[in-house]
Amino acid sequence: MDNNKEVILLKRALERQKQARIQAEKILEEKSKELYDMTRHLKAANSKLESLLNKKQTDLSDSFMEIIDPYVILDLDYNVITMNDSAINFLGYDHRKEPINVGKMVHYDYVEYTLQAFESLKKVGVLKNYRAKIVVRDKSHKFIQINGSVIYDTEGRPIGLHGIIRDISQETEIKNLLAEQRRELNIIVDNSPLGIALTVDGKIIKVNPRFSELLGYTENELIHSTPNEITTCYDEEKCSDFVGELNSEGQDNVSMTKEYVRKDGATFIAKTNISAVRDEEGKIKFQVVVIEDITKEQELQEQKEQLLSDLEASNKNLQEYAHIVSHDLKSPLRSISALASWIKEDYHDKLDEAGQEQLSLMQEKVASMDKLIQGILEYSTANSSQLLSSEVDLNEVIALIKETIYIPDHVSVKVPKTLPTIICDRTKMQQLFQNIIGNAVVHIEREVGLVQVLFKEHKDLFQFTIEDNGVGIPKEYHEKIFKIFQSIGNKERSTGIGLSIVKKIVDRYEGDVWVDSEVGVGTQFHFTLKKSLLTEQSKSQA
Amino acid sequence: MNILFIEDDAIETMKFKRILAKLKVQHKITEAKNGEEALEVLGSADQLPDIILLDLNMPRMSGIEFLKVLKADEHYKYLPTIMLTTSQNRADLLECYRIGIAGYILKPLKYEDYEDKLTKVVQYWEVSELVKA
Repeated sequence: MDNNKEVILLKRALERQKQARIQAEKILEEKSKELYDMTRHLKAANSKLESLLNKKQTDLSDSFMEIIDPYVILDLDYNVITMNDSAINFLGYDHRKEPINVGKMVHYDYVEYTLQAFESLKKVGVLKNYRAKIVVRDKSHKFIQINGSVIYDTEGRPIGLHGIIRDISQETEIKNLLAEQRRELNIIVDNSPLGIALTVDGKIIKVNPRFSELLGYTENELIHSTPNEITTCYDEEKCSDFVGELNSEGQDNVSMTKEYVRKDGATFIAKTNISAVRDEEGKIKFQVVVIEDITKEQELQEQKEQLLSDLEASNKNLQEYAHIVSHDLKSPLRSISALASWIKEDYHDKLDEAGQEQLSLMQEKVASMDKLIQGILEYSTANSSQLLSSEVDLNEVIALIKETIYIPDHVSVKVPKTLPTIICDRTKMQQLFQNIIGNAVVHIEREVGLVQVLFKEHKDLFQFTIEDNGVGIPKEYHEKIFKIFQSIGNKERSTGIGLSIVKKIVDRYEGDVWVDSEVGVGTQFHFTLKKSLLTEQSKSQA
Repeated sequence: MNILFIEDDAIETMKFKRILAKLKVQHKITEAKNGEEALEVLGSADQLPDIILLDLNMPRMSGIEFLKVLKADEHYKYLPTIMLTTSQNRADLLECYRIGIAGYILKPLKYEDYEDKLTKVVQYWEVSELVKA
């Protein structure tokens, strides 16, 4: 009985063992399959890495890693696989310490461009001259240029990207600066009131808007035309000379006045300045032509000359006219005077005293009229354009005046200090002194009359003073006496012209005339003459 | 002397005749009222005058124009010509001397002064040697 039980127990145990072994075998089988699969997988991965390593070693030798420029290897998602020290320094990131994706460094202005560029890189295999702004770790902005290419595995599949970065921040800054300066320069050139053109070998290569505007051609029409096509030789000789001058060494700047022909056929005169720009070897590289339209100035100048010559002619006419009129007025006076004399002489017996007296009065009136005519003539010729200058000793002039004019017996004319000898118009100088002295000597009521001619030399002027101890001139007349026909004397002989002649002559010598006077004490007439007009230069042919 | 007196103003002629009448020496006066008339006189006369007195300011042909014609002529250019004028125009005076004159007399206002001057002129030519064709 016990045996039976034992057998049954043993059988069962055997059965359990059998079952367990089957299970264990099954597990083992599964495990070994897993293991097999895993081994295969590992093998594949290994070979992938191997080929990558191979690629690296063949294509990307260590020298790449040691170059001075930053060098980066990326996977196809732009994660950094490795980079050299220069790149670490430049970017501020270290791929050994943290994962880096270069896409995040690109400045947002350049994201789109970058995406396109890298897509194209993947397609084409190379990237040349990619330029963009990036933000490095310290947040500073850098301009970079990248030349890169795709890395392929042994089977020609792309597995990564690599490229060299160049820092072009400074270069870009200089470029921007230059562009800015160029813009500024262009503003100046484009807005210049002068026409400016650049020529090479006598052909226009660039003009500013003013140049086109002046000539009525567009810039394109002007380019490649030669200066001869748009100018005529205003000054034939200078024109032909100028090319030679420019081509020879030394003379790099030529100025001339040329006539230009507009597109519409109209012409204008322009001051033209041509400067040569030479290269290092001294050969002419460019010529800068600057033109300024002076047609208006030229016209004004011509107008001015015309006016001047008109004025001269009219002055001359006026003078002739004055002489003719004075002759026509003087002649009948001479006839009247002669007839009155003859009546007096021929009919002496038949005329009573009253008749004789009336004839004398008539003679006097004729005389004063003759004087008036003479005065007007002198006044009108006092500013005739021609001054006949010569060396004049003023002492002689005064001596001559003393002989010529009527000086009452109680009056003497003295020159206490010797007067200078000056270059001037002798006749006008005599008129000047004579009119003042002549006035002075007849207006002295004292027992002893004295008229003195005084002289002072200033820096730019000679000053003369004619001083008398006569009746004096009331203050209210001090200005008026220099105006024509303003006689204040109650003497019959004053015409009111003398002092206006004085004023005119003094004006011609750019001086002043004025009077100091006190009634009952005397009068000082002062006048000045400008030294610069009393020189040899102003001396003209008689 | 044979004097050609060229003057458009009748009273001027009277003045000159009156002066001559007072002189001791007798002179023959030929009158002409202007330059053209004077040229006719010169052309028709058997004998040329010894001196010419010429007014500067005359109608039609001015004194200077007449003087130019005179001095351009082969025969007439020897005739001493004295200008009479009221003009103090220096340009006229210079022009006359340039063309060739024998005197330039300014007519003073007073007849007595005029008489004095003209008497001297005539007396001067009385003592001068004349061309006499």
